[in-house]
Amino acid sequence: MALNPAQPSVPDITCREVAEWASAYLDAHADDATQVRMALHLAACAGCEAYVSQIAAVRDLLGRLPGPAVEPTLRDRLRQAFSANRTPPPTKM
Amino acid sequence: MNSAIATHESPGPILSAAALPGGFTGPSLSQEERSLIVRLRKGDEGAFDELVNKHHGALIRMALGHVADREAAEEVVQDTWMAVIQGLPRFEGRSSLRTWICGILIHKAKDRGVREKRHATFSDFESHDDDHDEAVDPSRFHQNGEWAGHWAFPPQPWDEQTPEKLLASRQAVAAMQQAIDSLPPTLKEVLILRDIEGIEAKEACELLQITETNLYVRLHRARERVRRAVEIYLEGAALTV
Repeated sequence: MALNPAQPSVPDITCREVAEWASAYLDAHADDATQVRMALHLAACAGCEAYVSQIAAVRDLLGRLPGPAVEPTLRDRLRQAFSANRTPPPTKM
Repeated sequence: MNSAIATHESPGPILSAAALPGGFTGPSLSQEERSLIVRLRKGDEGAFDELVNKHHGALIRMALGHVADREAAEEVVQDTWMAVIQGLPRFEGRSSLRTWICGILIHKAKDRGVREKRHATFSDFESHDDDHDEAVDPSRFHQNGEWAGHWAFPPQPWDEQTPEKLLASRQAVAAMQQAIDSLPPTLKEVLILRDIEGIEAKEACELLQITETNLYVRLHRARERVRRAVEIYLEGAALTV
């Protein structure tokens, strides 16, 4: 990979620090000063902008991935248990 | 473990389906969950299928972090569903429904894991994966000189279509799933709770009994491993074009 031509001249925070704080930044969990420094750095650094965007994309993709399916026999067993356990409707007095 | 969230809610008056809308006082339930619970308590099998379909995969994955194999994980998840069925009439909404379900699973999976005498292994995982190493490979940054701490090998940007293309690719999906399945339990459960189940950070912290700072350290390391798996997949895909 080539050297990033858009490396910033922001002395306050390094790319390495931005990379460590990316998830906290995306959820606005970092303290206010760090959020501001991150935002300033991201505006000037293509590498970090790409990195944080990719972490955000991964976060959003994870909930859309297919997971292990329910085994048909287990599904039947659970349905039976659910039906057997359901609350009976209230009876009129 | 926070008992209100993690296991069964405290015994209380059993709420009838008719009493539900006014019976939930907890702020943690979304409107979607409230209506789902009303349907569940009315015995709506479709609602139960929805619930199982939505959470089963994540529960299996999470259980696999604690027990020996897939068979044991499926038993733990089955036990979890049975506890959910039995506990639904007493569920008071003091946490979100999914947090409650995940809490039951974690409790049962850890219990099973301890019985399998695997807890020593988990301690090892924690000592290796708790908060000390950096998420991103340090060799990707300049080590010395004027640019120390800045990218030497920055990530190549993805375009706007990349996420959809990844989801459409069986190999890319498999690469992401493999990355998730390979995570150590402490990272995997945070990733599943937060990004797959969508549980709020505060509730995830209560479930796992960790601080929010600790949660974000783990969460980011887990996300980075999945991101890196995608990066490797994309580099390989570019080479084959």
